[in-house]
Amino acid sequence: MNTQRPVTIVMIEDDGGHARLIEKNVRRAGVNNEIRHFADGTSALAFLQSQEAAANGPMLILLDLNLPDMTGIDILTVLKAHERLKRAPVIVLTTTDDKVEIQRCYDLGCNVYITKPVDYETFATAIRQLGLFLSVMQVPDA
Amino acid sequence: MATAHSGALTDRKEVLLLLLGFAALVAVGGSSIWLAQRNAAFSDQIAQTLEFRAEVRRMLVLAQNAETGQRGYLLTDDVAYLAPYDAALADRSKRTERVLALAGPSEGVQRERADALLKAVAAKLEELAETVALQRQGRRDEALALVKTDRGREAMIAVRRIADEMVAHEDAQFAERSAASDLSARWQLAVVLLGLLLAAGLAYGAQLLVRRQAREIKAAQAELKAANEGLEAAVAERTSELVSANQEIQRFAYIVSHDLRAPLVNVMGFTSELDAARKELKEQFDAIAEGAPELLRPEARLAVEEDLPEAIGFIRTSTSKMDRLINAILKLSREGRRVVTPETISIADMVTAIASTMHQQTAAANAEIVAAAGLPVLVSDRLAIEQIMQNLIENAVKYLDRSRPGRIVVSGRRRGAFVDFSIEDNGRGIDAKDHERVFELFRRAGAQDQPGEGLGLAFVRATVRRLGGSIRLDSEPGRGSTFHLTFPAVYRPQSESQAA
Repeated sequence: MNTQRPVTIVMIEDDGGHARLIEKNVRRAGVNNEIRHFADGTSALAFLQSQEAAANGPMLILLDLNLPDMTGIDILTVLKAHERLKRAPVIVLTTTDDKVEIQRCYDLGCNVYITKPVDYETFATAIRQLGLFLSVMQVPDA
Repeated sequence: MATAHSGALTDRKEVLLLLLGFAALVAVGGSSIWLAQRNAAFSDQIAQTLEFRAEVRRMLVLAQNAETGQRGYLLTDDVAYLAPYDAALADRSKRTERVLALAGPSEGVQRERADALLKAVAAKLEELAETVALQRQGRRDEALALVKTDRGREAMIAVRRIADEMVAHEDAQFAERSAASDLSARWQLAVVLLGLLLAAGLAYGAQLLVRRQAREIKAAQAELKAANEGLEAAVAERTSELVSANQEIQRFAYIVSHDLRAPLVNVMGFTSELDAARKELKEQFDAIAEGAPELLRPEARLAVEEDLPEAIGFIRTSTSKMDRLINAILKLSREGRRVVTPETISIADMVTAIASTMHQQTAAANAEIVAAAGLPVLVSDRLAIEQIMQNLIENAVKYLDRSRPGRIVVSGRRRGAFVDFSIEDNGRGIDAKDHERVFELFRRAGAQDQPGEGLGLAFVRATVRRLGGSIRLDSEPGRGSTFHLTFPAVYRPQSESQAA
């Protein structure tokens, strides 16, 4: 991360196990940024739109599409319509591999769409590569 | 039933009406002919009556003429006055003949009268002849004395009386016959009128019947139409219900398989984490085993070296199996959601292509795949049909009987709006009790000596149904199996596409 202020990774993932596995593998790739985990859409949106988040510096959002209270698509729509948050990169990381869904996410302005591989080795590799990717990508200041 | 019964009744009524009408016409015609003949007979009789009457009068006139001639002669003694007498005598035989000819049967009243008349005339003429003869001989006094005997006068009175009687009789007969003729003419008129009325009535009745029948037919047609429309509506409703039910199942399968995947990722993920942790422990364990083996208990060694790897191994096999099954359900549901794009497909080309891709397997199994002549084309989804054919042919090759050369024949024909295909093999066959089971998801039949998840036929059946077709299996263990496919020759979408 070459920016002066550290990037906060906001992970919106309802499955605790997945969140833990993602965090572990991202860390294994050498990414040490703060990771804020939210298990539902409401609390995640509340945080993202709060003053705390605004003061917190740049953010990168990891988004799961299947959430208990709303879909990731809803969150994506809110984010991309938000004055400040619309520039924050959004990486959709989900089990859904439906073509229509993928298309819709990119239409709404998602930056990367990754389908969680079911096979764990592939999953771990993918997340580690994502970690490596995160470590080199530029994130605009919020 | 009621309608059919009343229909038969109406038919019978119609026939009856027709028969009645015909009978009326025959009666009118027959009576007309009979009456006309009778009229003709009457006319003849009347003519005869008139003639007979005239003849009787002539006979009377003849007697009078003869008498007139005799009186003239007796008065004047001039032979010229005898002319009417001579003419009457000359005419006598002809008149006698005519009267006898017209007098009718010899036993009749008129005949007797005719004889009497002739006799009276003869008596008169005899008296006249005697007086005329005396006058000619110049014995005038004797002739006048004979006249004065009143013999001639009485004969003449008899002639008049009999002639009057006969004329009166003929007049009476004439009146009687005219009356009868009038009556029969009236009868004829009445019969004709009655017949016409009857015919008119029957025509009216028949027309009423026909109208009523037409009304009934119209009503029946309307009813039939309504029933048809109702049926179509019912079918459409039922179809849309089925389509939506099917869509729901597809969605359900999709959601379930998706949601099952998430925990599975955890199970597999943490199993790997567990395995990684075990490896760490194992290394530590091995280090301790080298340095201070007395610290290690045998149970701990067993746990680290055998129990843990074994447990992790079983978890992994099970989860990967579960993963495959979930993927299978996903594939099925995804196939169900795919939009069907119909195009013209040559099954012969398709089978040949599949056969060439499977050349290696067929060569290894000493088998051949034959596309029979006359395979019809159909308009449907190419990818789906290819997957169906591929699955069925692969299955046939997979489950061949190794003890004999394999032969797989794909044949087909068009049948109306449908096409039938059959994929026939001489493989190991399927037991009758498994004929339905083999089409179920994750179910397999026979010896489990081939790899597989029990997906192929479930997938085939789902796809066939989606294309509006049906699949059926004939098989006998040890003899071979034949899969019968039926598709609409031209695919017709069952409803609006549900892809979204």
